[in-house]
Amino acid sequence: MTDSFALPTRFGAQQLGGCYAPETLMQPLFDLEAAFRAALGDPAFLAELKGELRHFVGRPTPLTPAPRLAAKLGLRALFLKREDLTHTGAHKINNALAQALLARRMGKTEIIAETGAGQHGVATAAACARLGLSCTVYMGVTDMARQAPNVARMRLFGTKVEPVAAGQGTLKEAVNEALRAWAGRCDRAHYILGSALGPHPFPTMVRTFQTVIGEEARAQVLEQSGALPDTVIACAGGGSNGLGLLVPFLGDGLRRVAVEAGGHGKALGEHAARLDGGRLGVLHGCKTLLLQDEHGHTAETASISAGLDYPALGPELAGFALDGQVEVRRASDEEALAGARLLCETEGILPALESSHALALLSALAAEGAATVLLGLSGRGDKDLSTYQSRLGI
Amino acid sequence: MNPLLPFLMAGDPSLEALPQLLSGAKALGLDALELGLPHSDPIADGPVLQAAAHRAIDGGATPLRVLEALAGLTDSPDLVLFTYLNPLLQIGAARLKKLLAPTPVRALLVVDLPFGEEPAFEADLRAAGYPMVPLLAPTTPLDRARQILAERPDPGASAPFAQRFAYVVARLGVTGTGQGTDLAPVRRRVTDLQALTTRPLAVGFGLSDAASLAAVRTMGATPVVGSALVQALANGKGLGEILAPGLR
Repeated sequence: MTDSFALPTRFGAQQLGGCYAPETLMQPLFDLEAAFRAALGDPAFLAELKGELRHFVGRPTPLTPAPRLAAKLGLRALFLKREDLTHTGAHKINNALAQALLARRMGKTEIIAETGAGQHGVATAAACARLGLSCTVYMGVTDMARQAPNVARMRLFGTKVEPVAAGQGTLKEAVNEALRAWAGRCDRAHYILGSALGPHPFPTMVRTFQTVIGEEARAQVLEQSGALPDTVIACAGGGSNGLGLLVPFLGDGLRRVAVEAGGHGKALGEHAARLDGGRLGVLHGCKTLLLQDEHGHTAETASISAGLDYPALGPELAGFALDGQVEVRRASDEEALAGARLLCETEGILPALESSHALALLSALAAEGAATVLLGLSGRGDKDLSTYQSRLGI
Repeated sequence: MNPLLPFLMAGDPSLEALPQLLSGAKALGLDALELGLPHSDPIADGPVLQAAAHRAIDGGATPLRVLEALAGLTDSPDLVLFTYLNPLLQIGAARLKKLLAPTPVRALLVVDLPFGEEPAFEADLRAAGYPMVPLLAPTTPLDRARQILAERPDPGASAPFAQRFAYVVARLGVTGTGQGTDLAPVRRRVTDLQALTTRPLAVGFGLSDAASLAAVRTMGATPVVGSALVQALANGKGLGEILAPGLR
């Protein structure tokens, strides 16, 4: 049994991250870090993970050139990293599956998870069904209504979906409830946090399991075009997709861009843009850029995309943003919808609303001089069809 | 030994009612009381205290207004301010010390602040007379319990209970009225911890009926009553009416 952490718990010059957890969860977090480190050093675990990523998830995912969209935007080349083609339809499965394998290795019999858009919930539900673990997913009631197909998918996989009615009924409340549930069942349950958030070691663990996206993409773009792009871009809710794509490019001389949800306005409560609108604060176990009011209460957020509708930017990504290694930009609801439509029409790919925020920024990047862009298409848009239908009038 | 450590949520039912509740608690002979500073995201609280916090916030009980309402109060037990870190962090240690100075607050219980995460903030407040209450959970190994008690030291036998006690979390989970919380493991735990420290112990999470409170007292510890009290107050009962049976 260990009684302290061995990995760094803080990120960047501002020392973001940390482990601001209730005492009940401290020993479980020490144990989790120890199990994570041991697993990473165990060739059998790594081989099993690699095998599952290949044969169950469908990795490597393709890197698809998008020449018609590139031409339309005035880019010389555009490459899409197709996480939408993973099993369950988003990058979330990379982390969910790896943590489920870790939980089984730790002897845990139950899984707890939160979900916003439902992609992490579906991924966790699928991984649990495959590994024979029982699973409970906490989901805000607003999100359950706007992502109803994902609720049905989770239930088909045998997962219990617990509605969370508190507050706005979105991701923040779901995380609150998942943390409470874990404190009650931490002796037998593992909490699979879905983004690079929460107390240490979650941000580091989630980022580690997601960097497969950027590692594959970097090799694929070199293979296809013989050079690195001048810009790499991904959307960022908590930051698991953003970090997963961008971290393997940190040593390269190129622009790294993460796109937040600009929602429908600039005032607090109308968006989920933490870089402009946030201040350093502590929520859900970590210190990071946080949308909050003058009393230190978490602010309400708004986004057409449930997966980006969260008041805190993951601490490692916030650290990279504040230290100038990643540019953080925002795209509004309307811009994201337009970005989605353009990709559908030019390339025959239906993106998730989350990914559409990155697509929305492409014309601005082109105007700023970008010529070759690699974009993380984090998920597919089937779950968002009803929003697209109503908002685009189709 | 302090017979009972009650918990109230500041601003529930109203900030105006707070002075009278506190003087009522003092009249019952209570040395100390935990006062919740309502937070938007109380991740360690069950449904009763979540609802109380949201009622209080909706009623305008911001951290600054709570501290203002406490300023100058003398007819009150010593207060342990029970809260989450972010509101305090946003106020900042320097301003917080000034705001606390005219209040009966004697210690802070910050649920999501393990020792070592904000060392400068914590040391600054401790030096000013606002120590952090050490929390010991069922998952806390005894070696770590020893370390927590050392990092958040006993200011000494002459200090009031509010500044000396360690909070023993009786069971896994969040605050709330436990249905039939099994007290046998709690008794073993308290005995183990009493072998580590001479400071007073308070036991909370899931105690509601008079028999559980009495059982904790036979362990030589102070029972905490929170959710059951907050719920009874919300149902319109008076403080004395609720607490007097548990004090017998």
